[in-house]
Amino acid sequence: MNTWLKRAAAAGIAVAMATLSACSVTTGTPGSDNSTAGGGDGEQKDSYRVAYVARAQVDSFAAWLANEMKAEAENYDDIELEVFDGQADDEIENRMIENAIANQFDAIIIQANNAEAQRPYIEQAVAAGIVTITTNPRVEGIEGASSVDANPYEQGAVVARLAVEQVPENAKVVVLNGPGGNMHSTERRKAWEQEFFAKRPDVQIVGEDIANWNKDEALTLMEDWSLANPDIQAIISMNDNMATGALEAVKGKSGFEEIQAYGVDGTAEAALAIEAGEMTATSLQDAAELAQLNLKTVHDLLTGAEEEVNTDVGNPLITQENASEYVEMYKETGQIS
Amino acid sequence: MPSALKRFDASKYTIFIILAAGILIASLLSENFLSTNNVFNVLRQVAVITILAYGTMTLIIGGMIDLSSGAVMAFAGVVSVIVYKQSTSMVLALLAAIAIGVACNLFSAVFVAYLNVPAFIVTLGVMLIARGAVLEITQGQNITQLGDFVLIGQGNLGWFPIPVLILIAITAVVWYLMNHTRYGRSVYAIGGNEEASRASGIPVERVKIQAFIVNGVLVGIAGVIFMSRVNAGLPNAGVGYELQAIMAPVIGGTSFSGGVGTTLGTLAGALIVGILSNIMNLTGVGSYIQQIVMGLIIVGAVSYDIWSKRGKVRTTILKKREEKGSGEPTVTGSVG
Repeated sequence: MNTWLKRAAAAGIAVAMATLSACSVTTGTPGSDNSTAGGGDGEQKDSYRVAYVARAQVDSFAAWLANEMKAEAENYDDIELEVFDGQADDEIENRMIENAIANQFDAIIIQANNAEAQRPYIEQAVAAGIVTITTNPRVEGIEGASSVDANPYEQGAVVARLAVEQVPENAKVVVLNGPGGNMHSTERRKAWEQEFFAKRPDVQIVGEDIANWNKDEALTLMEDWSLANPDIQAIISMNDNMATGALEAVKGKSGFEEIQAYGVDGTAEAALAIEAGEMTATSLQDAAELAQLNLKTVHDLLTGAEEEVNTDVGNPLITQENASEYVEMYKETGQIS
Repeated sequence: MPSALKRFDASKYTIFIILAAGILIASLLSENFLSTNNVFNVLRQVAVITILAYGTMTLIIGGMIDLSSGAVMAFAGVVSVIVYKQSTSMVLALLAAIAIGVACNLFSAVFVAYLNVPAFIVTLGVMLIARGAVLEITQGQNITQLGDFVLIGQGNLGWFPIPVLILIAITAVVWYLMNHTRYGRSVYAIGGNEEASRASGIPVERVKIQAFIVNGVLVGIAGVIFMSRVNAGLPNAGVGYELQAIMAPVIGGTSFSGGVGTTLGTLAGALIVGILSNIMNLTGVGSYIQQIVMGLIIVGAVSYDIWSKRGKVRTTILKKREEKGSGEPTVTGSVG
């Protein structure tokens, strides 16, 4: 082998090994530490082991929630939280729940990837006497399980009600949806149908498609739609990522200076865009608040202070009037500078 | 028949005929399709995938593959965004992205070239490593407020969008590398028959490593364009892009058995996919139907390409038989 090739190979291995060692994605199996067992019966302990089975670390909201859950757990001396990544795969997520049951965690908090696919496994957790909470989304109708969620219909509805007043008469709009079958997307879309389109029959949808929550897919769709319909007046999106992606497509394009854009989630990027007057409104799905409520709920259930809890976080509306408050909030958390 | 016409091999141009037919049909379906804005639109949209596809094409021609290009692109792009935010230097940001792309590909290359681990497995591993690394760095959060970083993906130079100019330049470089350099000829030879190449003195390991390095550079550049285009550092970017980067060269006539494929064929393959997606968006076809149509077109285009070349293979074999007078054909290279 040539000298330079040897050097290059060595450099490649070194960098790759460094990368490997820096990588610690929580894709493992819930651990097998059996130092404590059982739970959910209000039995007082010094320490409770809680498994949080997250939907997917590649989903930016799910990742934010997982980070907030870890941070919030630090505030509880008697809770030891382990986070597991369901990798947006029903089979993997179900396996994570099964393993958490087998390893006798005191409580399992489940962020379902697909409520119906996870339902039998959530029921198994309840049947095993483990404190079980479903969150973001709530899995309805499981006796004995608790839930902490944001109401996805309301998240869409608060923005849609504002749009009824603000979208111009006879406007042409485009609609961006999340992945097919995703409960949050379908509920938000239902809210738009009932709260906006039913009340504004003058509005015409000139493009509607799935952009899978992704900014780049929404950008491509909007590039094409804006060519076919140069008079689109509003972007209606089921999340902020897609709304900001669609806005990138028409940024600086003549004829789109007054375009409105509505999203959901209240991300840092959306708060900035609303403050700058580029985006119209969104509703906040606050991961920090969800995490606080989840940890409080799991603590109350484990210590016997509560037997079953079903609760929702609020859906505050973010518009240009109050966007600066949320920009400040994100600056404090370090998400933006 | 004039000898020039006799030598004309129509099967070489099948993919371009399909592309031309696609353009014709699309222009009939939508009056906007051939507008200057939409032509640039399509070229901007296919730029990232085409650049990734050139790298993947090189590896497939050399008898390898890259399943990590989407994840490495996200890793490289996000690192370039971080470097840009720290330094505000576009040059440093671009170099950082290329360094990440090359480092990840060198890692794969060492295992593939020297340990003979199948590229399929190594790059699958690198896909997970790169995705994990980018998620760890960002904690899964998007990076925003990119400032002038967006120029490379959204800006224009005169009339031309910058990503389109980069695509044209890269197309020319890759075409030259594959057609007019010893490196390019070696890649084709290794993919056609590795042992024969080794016997004829081609430094097989070195060429494989060079092919991965070229791929790394291309993936790094694609990462910068992608993040700049969406005006964000997205750690979840590029999921599934590795398959699109494989799809474009395969539609364009690159053979999975190695040794066969062209830069312009890959460009045509990427354009066919881009035009299909564009025309379906322009005419309001929903994404479920789009997937069905895309699947049918891929199977149809590749099948037609193979079918149109079948006659050529048979002719070649028969010719060889005639030349030899008798006996079995001795065609060893793959014809695809």
